[in-house]
Amino acid sequence: MAKGEKQIDSKEDQMVVFQLTEQTYGIDIDAVFEIIRMEAITRVPRTPHFVEGVINLRGKIIPVIDLCKRFNLPLAERTSSSRIIIVDVGGNTIGMIVDGVSEVLRVPLDSIEPPPPMIHGIDAAYLRGIAILDGRLVILLNLDKVLYEHEQSELQRFGVETA
Amino acid sequence: MFSDEEISVFLDELEEKIQVLNENILVLEREGGSQEALQEIFRAAHTIKGSSAVMGYDKMASLTHEIENLFDQMRKGLLPVSGPLVDTLFMALDTLQILRDEIIGKDVSVDIEQVVTSLKQFQGIGSPPSPGEAPESGRGPSKQPAGAIDDGIGEVEEDVIREAELKGLQAYWVTVQLDAGCQMKSVRAFLVFETLQQMGEVIKSQPPAEDIQEGNFETGFRVILLTGEDPDRVRNLLMTVSEVAKTEVNRIKLAAGQEVREQAASDAPAEKTEQAARADHEVKTVQTVRVDVQKLDTLMNLVGELVIDRTRLNRFAEIFEGRFGSGSGDMVETMNEISSHLGQVAGDLQEQIMKARMLPVAQVFNRFPRMVRDLAQKLNKEVDFIVEGHETELDRNVIEVIGDPLIHLIRNALDHGIEGPEERARLGKPRNGVLKLKASYMENHIIITIQDDGKGMDPVKLRAKAVEKGLINGEVAQRMSDQEALNLIFLPGFSTVAKVSDLSGRGVGMDIVRSHIEQINGITDVSSVPGVGTTFTIKLPLTLAIIRALMVELGNEQFAFPLTNVVETISVKAEEIKRVKHNEVILVRGRVLPLVRLSDIFERETCAEMDRLFVVVLGIGEKKVGVIVDKLLGELEIVIKSLGDYLGKVPCLSGATILGDGQVALIVDVRSLVKEIGVEEAVYAAS
Repeated sequence: MAKGEKQIDSKEDQMVVFQLTEQTYGIDIDAVFEIIRMEAITRVPRTPHFVEGVINLRGKIIPVIDLCKRFNLPLAERTSSSRIIIVDVGGNTIGMIVDGVSEVLRVPLDSIEPPPPMIHGIDAAYLRGIAILDGRLVILLNLDKVLYEHEQSELQRFGVETA
Repeated sequence: MFSDEEISVFLDELEEKIQVLNENILVLEREGGSQEALQEIFRAAHTIKGSSAVMGYDKMASLTHEIENLFDQMRKGLLPVSGPLVDTLFMALDTLQILRDEIIGKDVSVDIEQVVTSLKQFQGIGSPPSPGEAPESGRGPSKQPAGAIDDGIGEVEEDVIREAELKGLQAYWVTVQLDAGCQMKSVRAFLVFETLQQMGEVIKSQPPAEDIQEGNFETGFRVILLTGEDPDRVRNLLMTVSEVAKTEVNRIKLAAGQEVREQAASDAPAEKTEQAARADHEVKTVQTVRVDVQKLDTLMNLVGELVIDRTRLNRFAEIFEGRFGSGSGDMVETMNEISSHLGQVAGDLQEQIMKARMLPVAQVFNRFPRMVRDLAQKLNKEVDFIVEGHETELDRNVIEVIGDPLIHLIRNALDHGIEGPEERARLGKPRNGVLKLKASYMENHIIITIQDDGKGMDPVKLRAKAVEKGLINGEVAQRMSDQEALNLIFLPGFSTVAKVSDLSGRGVGMDIVRSHIEQINGITDVSSVPGVGTTFTIKLPLTLAIIRALMVELGNEQFAFPLTNVVETISVKAEEIKRVKHNEVILVRGRVLPLVRLSDIFERETCAEMDRLFVVVLGIGEKKVGVIVDKLLGELEIVIKSLGDYLGKVPCLSGATILGDGQVALIVDVRSLVKEIGVEEAVYAAS
């Protein structure tokens, strides 16, 4: 990854940009640990529906979630461009399946606009904002919320109900 | 003042020395005045006294000072070992332990006066009044008592030395080098001074004594010592101080014509052999460092990465060969060679790190002799406590868990098992009961047995008791084998002793013991013959990180069952399965076994053949349940990995493991699985 190129500049953020059902999303590069190709995922029974399973990342067991399922978006076929973005959020290393990773973009902070209440079926609560870059709409995700907000409760609920 | 690290080193050492004292006082009690034990004790007490004084723990220092004085008299044969004396010493040790707890911030306070007084009473027995600093009985005619020493230096040393020589003392430059990694320089230096002062007088030091005691020196310092002792003896004694790396003792020859006695040539060979012997001894001493377990875990993970890279290298070699064909033959071969060597090294590395996490069971066992002694005394029983297999090594996590269950079993054996001496005499048994604690290896397990020759347990009584307590019904009790009846003691709420003592028998005992052991994948078993004795056997895995597991297949995925929970595997015909209410059961050797399908538990599709089914029989305590799987794949040694905090506790799973091909297999949590399917109801429904 182009992590090394990161520049300290308060005026812009670097975003890893990826595709999910024809839409372009961005997440803060600081959260991204690495990006790997799709690999065999071991399903873990009795976990929330968006948890795809676990993978072996160099000897560590990492949970992987499907972002489409997370947002209840129509499921895309896994293709050769599908990737797992490994992020480090809230002290946990988590993999997120996306349709493809295109680039790292510098996003000037003043180009980020507050999100509309709902965009492409995703609640604004999970969004940091939207930005228009090179004529494209990039939806910026708030990973903390995406991974923890609703999931924590769902994860816990699962634990309680079935234990 | 002192850094946290210094204090923690001090505390560790203190703990260690208290243990040494405990052990050796027990030896004294058993064997009378063993010189070796006395030496050990004296040295340990001396170290504690020195370090605690330097660290400023005055109470501790003055207490150990009294203990040391007593030992000094015992060592000189002035004070015989007696029961009350040993009791007092143990009391003093307990006080010392409390003082230690005080340092680590436990809210305890203790009055040392009483103990000190009783210690002093014993000193009165030994003939001469207690010698202040317990001087060695040296050959030097005039011995200055320790006191005003290292601070008074001046230009007058030469005069002092000449004067001393007239008295038959010799002056030496004593150079002391501490270990480079020494963490408590000032303490060690203090001990060196203490030791030197036992042998003579220190009249000068470089750097000045104040600096040395503050720890303001590199790793070495030197002093002028006036003594009548042999230089070799000086050196040997100094080497007994911990973390002293090197000492040199050189005679000071004054320029003016005093007679200078060189080391006689005839002394040389003797000295050499002694040195050689010492060298031998030094080789044998194991050098150790304290390492944070976290670091070992990190190392372990790094090894994991190494293994993965090796696999990648292998694949790369294949691809390389595929792409460039036979022309690349040599290179591919070399690459394979590198890869296989890498794999071997990684494997060895893994094993070594695993071993580094192991500790001898002595860590736990060493506490017991003292405990047994105290308990036996309290209960008025006479017990020979035999411990075997101290050196057996276990993972430190396992060690941490087994302490409490063992204490409980030992207490039980003393309290309920072994009879009082009179009763034993009446029964024609030797008055002394025998309690044996033994650890040994068996294949990939450690077996710990606790065996007593007491009254044993009567299956008939156990059955009656269980029925009376409403734990089982009479009919079930009658059908039980004697062995099953014995296992009743592991049921929650079962206690055979009507009178509840403060030692054991609160009725919370054995089930807790068993569940503690099960937590670490261990198995507890009991066998007992009425009138002859009881034996508890605990089977433990060598390490918690690696277990042997039975691998099974469901659909196209693999699952692992910890082997400790697998009783057996059987294959059954579909028509053998019967239904009781909503539960499937089968008859195995005449007994009803509730069945459950793994595919149901994990909501998976199954591709099992319908007519022939494989059943894994799992056991948790006395509960058994059969789990239907698609295929049995065999046993495998697996490394347990956590599923991580994000997923949290997943029902019926205890973790995951990485298989040889890099795939992940889930590990079944048998305990929660058995609990979940409510075996009890199933069993009752079936019977």
